[in-house]
Amino acid sequence: MGRSAVNPTLLEVRKLRIHLPTASGMSTVVDGVDFEVRRGEVFGIAGESGSGKTMSVLALLGLLPDGAVVEGSAKYDGIELLGLKGPSMREIRGAEIAMVFQDPMTSLHPMLSVERQLTEHVRYHLGVSARQARIRAAQLLREVRIPDPESALGGYPHQFSGGMRQRIAIAIALACNPKLLIADEPTTALDVTVQAGVLRLLDRLRVEAGLSVVMITHDLGVMSSIAEWLTVMYAGRVVESGRTADVLARPRHPYTAGLLAALPHPEAPAETALRAIKGAPPSPLARPAGCAFHPRCDYARPSCSTSVPALVPIGEGRGLACPVDPLIA
Amino acid sequence: MTVQQLPAPARFRISLRRRPGTIASAWRQPLAIAGMVLAGVWIFIAVFVPFLAPYDPLHQTDLLLAPPTAAHLFGTDELGRDVFSRVLWGSRLSIPIAFFLVVGAVVIGGTLGALAGYFGGVVEEVVMRAADLVFAFPTIILAMAVTAALGPSLQNAVLALLIVFWPSYARVVRGLVVSLKQADYVSATRLLGSSSRRALMVDVLPNVAGPVLVLATLDVGNAVLLLAGLSFLGLGSPPPFAEWGSMVNVGTQYFERWWMGTFPGFAILSVVLAFNFLGDSLRDALDPRSSWGGQQ
Amino acid sequence: MLLGLGITFVAFVLTELLPGDPAAANLGQRAIGDPAAVQAFREHYGLDKPLPVQYAVYLQHLVHGDLGESEQSHRPVLTDLREYVPATAELAVTSIIIAFALGIALGILAAVRRNKFTDQLLRVVSLSGISMPTFWLALVAIYVFFFKLGWVPGSERLDPGTFAPPHVTGLYTVDALLSGQTDVFTNAVQHLILPAFVLAAYNIGLLTRFTRSAVLEVINNDYIQAARAKGLPERTVVLRHVLRAALPPIITVGGLAFANVMTGTVLVEKIFAWPGIGNYAFLSATTLDLPAIMGVSLFVAIVYIVVNFVVDVLYGVIDPRVRVG
Repeated sequence: MGRSAVNPTLLEVRKLRIHLPTASGMSTVVDGVDFEVRRGEVFGIAGESGSGKTMSVLALLGLLPDGAVVEGSAKYDGIELLGLKGPSMREIRGAEIAMVFQDPMTSLHPMLSVERQLTEHVRYHLGVSARQARIRAAQLLREVRIPDPESALGGYPHQFSGGMRQRIAIAIALACNPKLLIADEPTTALDVTVQAGVLRLLDRLRVEAGLSVVMITHDLGVMSSIAEWLTVMYAGRVVESGRTADVLARPRHPYTAGLLAALPHPEAPAETALRAIKGAPPSPLARPAGCAFHPRCDYARPSCSTSVPALVPIGEGRGLACPVDPLIA
Repeated sequence: MTVQQLPAPARFRISLRRRPGTIASAWRQPLAIAGMVLAGVWIFIAVFVPFLAPYDPLHQTDLLLAPPTAAHLFGTDELGRDVFSRVLWGSRLSIPIAFFLVVGAVVIGGTLGALAGYFGGVVEEVVMRAADLVFAFPTIILAMAVTAALGPSLQNAVLALLIVFWPSYARVVRGLVVSLKQADYVSATRLLGSSSRRALMVDVLPNVAGPVLVLATLDVGNAVLLLAGLSFLGLGSPPPFAEWGSMVNVGTQYFERWWMGTFPGFAILSVVLAFNFLGDSLRDALDPRSSWGGQQ
Repeated sequence: MLLGLGITFVAFVLTELLPGDPAAANLGQRAIGDPAAVQAFREHYGLDKPLPVQYAVYLQHLVHGDLGESEQSHRPVLTDLREYVPATAELAVTSIIIAFALGIALGILAAVRRNKFTDQLLRVVSLSGISMPTFWLALVAIYVFFFKLGWVPGSERLDPGTFAPPHVTGLYTVDALLSGQTDVFTNAVQHLILPAFVLAAYNIGLLTRFTRSAVLEVINNDYIQAARAKGLPERTVVLRHVLRAALPPIITVGGLAFANVMTGTVLVEKIFAWPGIGNYAFLSATTLDLPAIMGVSLFVAIVYIVVNFVVDVLYGVIDPRVRVG
């Protein structure tokens, strides 16, 4: 496996397109997505359900459903991930790129012990003995702050609380020291009080290990607290990207602005109405022509319904897919 | 006391109109078609056998134990009777009886189960314990005991099998009635307003029909199998009659004359297969998620 | 326990109320002409006492482990059972093992190749398995594999002239191994193959279907995808993760499969001249040998209860969420 220690970019995705088979034919759920993840940094992907964010990352690990068609390129450390054959893909999964799923209630196997789930891939990838794997597993549990790791090893997922389960899931993901961790809505299924703890854990671990993280979430609050870089997706395309702080402070795309405006302001007076973006996100089968957002956009022009906006760099590492650019001010 | 006419909740207005939609999709599957064709062929045979069978099934000739030839397609048995004709005539015995058996079991079991589910309490206890007791006995031992005690004859075998079959329907129907009863309190109020019997017929029956139909179709096959099994053991219809099970039994004794036992057995297999294909496709149609999923 | 009592009650009532006269059935022709013989018979078996007394007497004997004496063999029913149970046990256990091994394997195969040709083929095969008359299959099997091909023997537990190994369990295979008689062992296995497979046919069909649907229920769950995401080979994912999760509903079929085997033994043992409980049950039922019928029914009921208990325990072993505490 080629390792280029100099190149700061760990993952480079270009022109990613994903088509899935449906009852009414192939539907394009991801329609031309570009992004880069640098070593040791947290990269956020924001968007509503159906925006294609989960599919994009599943494609990286070859976990798309049967019949999916993928176009484009995804280079991890110089290796092309899309279309990678079985054995090579398995080497990457877990050992190089690991994933934490949204709901730890369903992403941990209910009938296998915690120890088993922590050690099986370690033994497979690294070939260590059962005893060594067990020691490592206990250590991992300690790192994710699970109390009494030794007895936790013999436990089963249903015996732990939601937050602890997610910590276990994170421990499982990090067991083989991957370089890239994909976290798909890792805190969405957790209580708000528990969320912060898990996020802090993720942040600490990645700093200690020099880990790169792709954080997927629709929650802009979570995004602002942990992600350095942000990409906003809508209807399978990227609409805006850049440093999180910049994008959230000075959004340039009407959709991003709408998302931020919809967040309840903690200091607003009690009767302030919530401002939602009018309309609803389109299904991949019924995507509007031209810019997918134009039917819901306050600044739409006639040209928006005919030409698909390209993601254009607008300086300071930011990208914008809106030729109208109405919010520049 | 005025009875409030509450609007019927939509989900309870499942009229028979919806049924064709789901059952119709079953018809198109190749397995269902195969099953229907096969079952149709046998029913046709059962009806028209006097015209189809070349010989009288009871007519004995001098040509004993002859292998299959053009004159006797399936050969002859130990009394010189044409096996082919006997196999065809066997359908007149097995198929109508199996149908009768299943219908009887559905009616008895279904009624008992509906009563148990609807009224609960003592009625439910009695019916369900009786069902449990039957389930606890190994099927064949119960059937054997009853048939042996009453004397080996077709009627007694049928009676024994009725006893064995009704509990499954009682259980299914009771379970459905209970869940329907609890499903919608509004509907229950309405049920209390209108007559109980009417409510049972109009609201509950259509929902129950589906699973019962699947079970019944599969049970036709099971009935044929068990009936043949009892006959094989000598507990069904007595010798002269052309019953498939007893034919196989005799075939066991004349072992090298493979045609005597094999063809009746094939007949049993094909009939049961036909109804199992049908029942399986029906189940698919009513529960497409599992698609040829596990049995009850 | 209540069920057990209920069973004895029902069996008793059934055999008493049904019109057949056990004396006549047992003594046959003689009974018609000889009232003294009939009376002696009735006195011997206590049939002349009032019903409730008979029942109470029976229960009393039962508590002491006395199941009464078979009217046919004139031996204690318990002795009869002791003699015949091991034969059936050997057959039944072998059959169940075959059925589960093959059924589960085929079920997984069908699920993994869902809707492809293999799946459709297995659907037809499994439907055939549950549609086949067991006695007919036995006949065909004997004809083909014994008569025509001569691969395996067609009846009984051992070749004539071969002696049974020293009795430890009554299972010839196990006993032969225990006493080091490998030739007897081989012979016993040869005799076991055909009836065990015939008996297993129905259950193989049943288990294939159940396994397939159980696996399909589980295979799209998140934890399966998570297992793949860890880089584990597909075989490990299927065998360890998928199968484990699908096992609970499959295990519950165990009770049903066992019932099928019990039903099947009556037919199979008759055809293969296998000296087991099935044969005994048939003889008792047709001669209205009341104590024997009761004995067999009781025995089978107890086995059912034990099997269901074992199934419950297994459930807890496989699925930790079910365990208490």
